[in-house]
Amino acid sequence: MSSSKSNKIVKLESSDNKTFEVEEAVAVQSETLKNMVDDGCANDTIPLPNVNGKILEMVLGWCKKHVDETVTGDELNKYEADFLDLDQADLYGLLMAANFLNVKGLLDRVLQRVADMIKGKKPEEIRRIFNIKNDFTPEEEEEIRLENAWAFD
Amino acid sequence: MEGLAMLRQLIGQLQELLEVYGSHPPLLPYPPDPPPHFLQPLHHPLPLSDLHSHQPQRWCFLNVDDGSTDDYYSLIMAAGKSGSFKMLEPYKPPPAKKSRKERTRGKSSGTTNTSEAMEQQIWKDFPEDLFEAVIARLPIATFFRFRSVCRKWNSLLNSQSFSQHCAQVPQGNPWFYTITHENVNSGAMYDPSLKKWHHPTISSLPSKMIVLPVASAGGLVCFLDIGHRNFYICNPLTQSFKELPARSVKVWSRVAVGMMLNGNSTCGGYKILWVGCDGEFEVYDSVKNSWTRPGNMPSIIKLPLSLNFRSQAVAIDGTLYFMRSDPEGIVSYDMVTGVWKQYIVPAPLHLTDPTLAECGGRIMLVGLLSKNAATCVCIWELQKMTLLWKEVDRMPNIWCLEFYGKHVRMTCLGNKGLLMLSLRSRQMNRLVTYNVSSREWLKVPGCVVPRGRKRQWIACGTAFHPCLTDIA
Repeated sequence: MSSSKSNKIVKLESSDNKTFEVEEAVAVQSETLKNMVDDGCANDTIPLPNVNGKILEMVLGWCKKHVDETVTGDELNKYEADFLDLDQADLYGLLMAANFLNVKGLLDRVLQRVADMIKGKKPEEIRRIFNIKNDFTPEEEEEIRLENAWAFD
Repeated sequence: MEGLAMLRQLIGQLQELLEVYGSHPPLLPYPPDPPPHFLQPLHHPLPLSDLHSHQPQRWCFLNVDDGSTDDYYSLIMAAGKSGSFKMLEPYKPPPAKKSRKERTRGKSSGTTNTSEAMEQQIWKDFPEDLFEAVIARLPIATFFRFRSVCRKWNSLLNSQSFSQHCAQVPQGNPWFYTITHENVNSGAMYDPSLKKWHHPTISSLPSKMIVLPVASAGGLVCFLDIGHRNFYICNPLTQSFKELPARSVKVWSRVAVGMMLNGNSTCGGYKILWVGCDGEFEVYDSVKNSWTRPGNMPSIIKLPLSLNFRSQAVAIDGTLYFMRSDPEGIVSYDMVTGVWKQYIVPAPLHLTDPTLAECGGRIMLVGLLSKNAATCVCIWELQKMTLLWKEVDRMPNIWCLEFYGKHVRMTCLGNKGLLMLSLRSRQMNRLVTYNVSSREWLKVPGCVVPRGRKRQWIACGTAFHPCLTDIA
């Protein structure tokens, strides 16, 4: 089943002025880009001021892999697992990009990765890492700790 | 040389078995096995002194077929009347080395992923709206630990958006909510993914009430009180709890209960059906919060219904299946059409403690097969064309050896996909999980309260899919 749009190219420009050209089928893996295409805003180069070139290239690589019909299920699984073998700065950038561009499968994976990274930490560490203010009084905090102590076993 | 290797392997397995379960019987004298019907029926509860003189584990020998399992309730009611809800202490096994090992093992596996130090420089500007999505993907126990991070994280259980995030995360293994002999009014929960027991300090259920889990759907568990009067729905993880309106029936005889969700999630509500031996039945709809009597049981269904109360009902595609005897088989009720059907299915020979389960739409039977002195746990699948049970799996032989020559009773917790089997004889309570689709048998670490050493005896329970935001 061929669509009349199947040869259309979408042009993207990253925050550091790198341009990328991808097929529409690849671009629409991103819900954000898909909405632009559907609204007819994708005819010129789309600027993406909050995604840098390195990260955008990664995201587009993911999208390309997911429309490639020659890739088997196992290969895709391995690709997805290896994909997230990144340093923290890149992982964070990828999370922001996947969220902004709304690439669902990628976003799920990255969110799960972050959850896995923090799951063994103590609440104090969580506050430090994410710069979260502890807005409990010491008594309140102790009460909550006791209430939920069963999960600490 | 091959024979030598096999012998070594067998010796290794035996050593493991002995190490895990303790090698010697106790030196206390035990009275001989009682006859099966020694307990009084429900309306003559035993005085507490009588209970003390008998060996506490005797309620394991209740014969399901003559209805004397009601005596389980008489024992509890007697204990209740004495003013103390603490159950009698069962025999203490010799100190189990494994329990400490298990606890340490459990702890270290939880921290293997935290060796990654996370730099505040990178993560300090993490967007607020992404926190809920990450927290929804944490293991359940971690969520409760992180409630003390800040007020916002503490109040996520009430957040609609958080609820939506949770709904999007694929379901993992169910947990098991169990009632132990030692403490009847609060449950111990088992997480099979991490092989950890959890003992909530605040029970989700009101205290001074003895209720037993009879069914579950999604993250909700349905409890029935001892007198078969009132139903309660509870999410064992949160404090969400509801007492259902009274049923229209005034005579409280024993009932079998089935529960299912309307649709795929608890947001659409749930239905509960109870059915009694006289063919009376009612359906509760959580959306309307009321019971209705959809009609009468058709005359084709032979009454009285000798329902198997120890087996949970199974829900497949909007139909509930209950196990019955006389004639042996299954009765089913279609929630949509309101139609009852009866299937005559002969029980396997030498079968005791049967219970229904399901996996991927297939109806399974779990039970004990006892021949001469040997007992084994067997799994059968219902052949729909012939209406016969076909054996499809057995517990590994080396585990069954432990039951040789002993009178064993089995309770099956859960009825879908992953099952927990509680196998009890005079001195021991073995717990295993069985995954119906992968056919994997796994040992379950003993249930020990924090800072305790005594293994708790699992009396009964059910499986549920832990969901933080399911509301009763």
